[in-house]
Amino acid sequence: MARAAGIVLAGGRSSRMGTPKAALEWHGSTLLRRVVGVVGRSLDGPVVVVRAPEQELPELPDGVEVVEDAREGRGPLQGLAAGLAAVRERAHAAYASSTDVPLLHPRFIRQVLAALDDDVDVVLPEIGGFRHPLAAVYRTELVDVVERLIAEDRMRPAFLFEACRVRRLDADALLADPALAALDPDLDSVLNLNEPADYEAARARPAPEVTVRVFGALRRISTVGRDPALVAAATVGEAAAATGLSLDGHVVAALNGDQITRDPQAPLVAGDSVSFLSADAGG
Amino acid sequence: MEAATVAGGYFGRALVVDLADASAETLALPEEVLRAYIGGAGLGAWLMHELAPAGVDPLGPDAPLAFCFSPLVGTPLTTSAKFAVVAKSPLTGLLNDALASSHFAIAGKLTGHDAIVVRGACDEPSVLLIDGDGPRLEPAGDLWGLSADEAETRLRERLGKAWRVASIGPAGERLVKYATISHDGRHAGRGGLGAILGAKLLKAVAVRPSTKVAPADPQAVLAAARDLRARSFGPATAKYRELGTLANLLAFNAIATLPTRNFQASTFADAPRLAAEDLAEARQVARDSCASCSIGCEHIYKGANGKQARVEYENVFALGPLCGVSDPDAVLEASGRCDELGLDTISAGGTTAWAMECAERGLIDAPWLRFGDADGMLRAIEEIGAREGLGALLAEGSRAAAAIVGQGSAAFAPHVKGLELPGYEPRTLQAMALGLAVNARGADHNRSGAYEADLSGAHDRLTGGSAHVTAAIGTEDRAAVMDSLILCKFLRGVFSDPFPEWARLLSSVTGWDVDGEELEATARRIVLAKRAFNAREGWTRADDGLPDRFLEESLEVGSGRTATLTRERLDAMIAEYYESRGLQASGLLRERQMQDLRLGKPVRSTRSIRTVP
Repeated sequence: MARAAGIVLAGGRSSRMGTPKAALEWHGSTLLRRVVGVVGRSLDGPVVVVRAPEQELPELPDGVEVVEDAREGRGPLQGLAAGLAAVRERAHAAYASSTDVPLLHPRFIRQVLAALDDDVDVVLPEIGGFRHPLAAVYRTELVDVVERLIAEDRMRPAFLFEACRVRRLDADALLADPALAALDPDLDSVLNLNEPADYEAARARPAPEVTVRVFGALRRISTVGRDPALVAAATVGEAAAATGLSLDGHVVAALNGDQITRDPQAPLVAGDSVSFLSADAGG
Repeated sequence: MEAATVAGGYFGRALVVDLADASAETLALPEEVLRAYIGGAGLGAWLMHELAPAGVDPLGPDAPLAFCFSPLVGTPLTTSAKFAVVAKSPLTGLLNDALASSHFAIAGKLTGHDAIVVRGACDEPSVLLIDGDGPRLEPAGDLWGLSADEAETRLRERLGKAWRVASIGPAGERLVKYATISHDGRHAGRGGLGAILGAKLLKAVAVRPSTKVAPADPQAVLAAARDLRARSFGPATAKYRELGTLANLLAFNAIATLPTRNFQASTFADAPRLAAEDLAEARQVARDSCASCSIGCEHIYKGANGKQARVEYENVFALGPLCGVSDPDAVLEASGRCDELGLDTISAGGTTAWAMECAERGLIDAPWLRFGDADGMLRAIEEIGAREGLGALLAEGSRAAAAIVGQGSAAFAPHVKGLELPGYEPRTLQAMALGLAVNARGADHNRSGAYEADLSGAHDRLTGGSAHVTAAIGTEDRAAVMDSLILCKFLRGVFSDPFPEWARLLSSVTGWDVDGEELEATARRIVLAKRAFNAREGWTRADDGLPDRFLEESLEVGSGRTATLTRERLDAMIAEYYESRGLQASGLLRERQMQDLRLGKPVRSTRSIRTVP
């Protein structure tokens, strides 16, 4: 049983945006691909995307599961119920996210998760006076409560919070973590994009600064003179390009000394370190 | 000597020399067997089933040792000048094959044999000569005590440059359980095969070509050779060509896969001091390649003592980070001394690192031996090579030494089945962990290269499961064929659809209508033949596993995630491995699998030769 799964709700109507948010371009990737990647690397459990019935989704990485809302357009509790039901046998808790938070940082997710203990059922960030139920952690066993509320047509998250034990995390509590304060000082992790202007402003921001290291024979073809070097890159593919490399069959990237990937769309965030290695590692 | 009718690339016979009564015979190798096992490590496994008495003492006179060639040897196919030395290992007590490359492969095969087997023992230090005049023994008292290189040089001066020599060093003479067999500066390194020759008082085997062998379709072989050569210059081999295998070190350190201080850590703070990226500029003096190879992976460095040493990742990992040593000159010197003594650097480093931990814990009395102490490491190697002082214990390998020292030291003796682990941390490479655990040879990265899958991004390398089992089986199967054809594994990246491509190569050489599917079955057969031999020699389910350290202690990777490999997880992967291989739950072969091994085929002795005293 994993400690935490991830639930990404992709099924909103995106009416103010005028186009499906999930498929919005993000540094050669999509909003949904980015959020799924950031959530996935922050947890030890599965990641589930909840979509509206028959909703088309952009390409997702291997291993990400997709479930459908029972009914479309009934708000976050409907999607949360589908997500919690999908992971309840495999994880004690789940981080729930919307799909329109491209500046989400793994450190934020870990801080919210860290506040979950035996005394609470939900950890709910409350920043600048706004609750963020789609940047929160829920015990998976809450699925029964959520489904009861849906059956009673009490569809607002506030009803759920009345029915269980909630720990609220304000900005000060979150930023007490020095790492989060350094990596996401304005808590842009909860900055969601509702209108085209929001998207354009966020997209115009510079890509996060990441550290790249190049090893072995690749160093001879890298265009980065220093080791390590800092580059601006929102994806592994952008980091490779900034380093003069391409993720072909002979180059792999290790993210923060951990997972190996060949996926150019794998998201990067501020503070990441990417090591480019020869894929032919024998000897 | 007339060859039996056989496929292209083969002579269809093995020479078996009995050193006890100075006689020799040739054994016909049925074509069915050659097709089922190809050559190299595969043929060697079959020969050991047939020729090694059950329960034989690896260092006893009845133990056979085979030099096995392959149908590709002698063709223009790049990296094909390789051979396998196969025997029951004195280190593991199980089947062992060690591969090497050089002109010895070509000259040995062109004596007219697909394999040369020695058994029995000489009365005095001797060298075995084999050419068109048949095999004969000559006294080698003057060579005894010399390094393999020196012995080889003297023999070739005496016999002529057409002779190629495989020799043991002082460690083999003194029966160090991980002594190598060396030729042209390269070693059939793992499993202590040099000690077997030492026990037979056989300093060296010298071979001189006396015949030729033709492939079935010379034009097709030539075309394939041109194509393969061109591909060997591509990006798949760039790492080996440009920096050599030492390029692994700094990269592995970055991903917490560099075994350090006897596997107590997986990163080494001083790794940059030993990195090829910087050392190559300052120390590299030459680049070299094996016979018939267009990759050229060998990088020769010069140490502070002025001596040159061939630098490989495994040497540097084992004598550097694994022992906590960061002084590049000390590591180069230690590597050079291992070469001179004829010691497997992985086992020498692993056993020394285990002893360092024992000394630091107060389990053995060796205050001079501490992690990071280069002088202590060098002294340990000298004592191992001489079997003196602490070296008498360490010459037995870490498993046997831990059994003697006791006090819980077996928990951190870094071996599987007695063979010390190579430089791949199993907790952060969990497909590799399975590969190391189940492989017939023991902890080995050449017979099970599952690290490839761990480092491909295809699965989470820290969380072993079904995908890791599939990956481990795949790499084991591919290795079984490459080690039998034989082709260098550094070429593996140039094959996009390996089994069909290898089948075409084999078909063009032999004339057989082999396809990829048949070769996949051949791979499985070779893997199982090794397992069956081990079972015959006393292997049990408990031998497939990893030392307690790897199952009880966790590591942290750079992201902050913890790498844990529990006993339950490893056991589950092993059980799934057995099931996927069609084995019994005990890990033993089923009857139909035993039938497929083609054991007990009548082997016809065609001729008996008296050797010239």
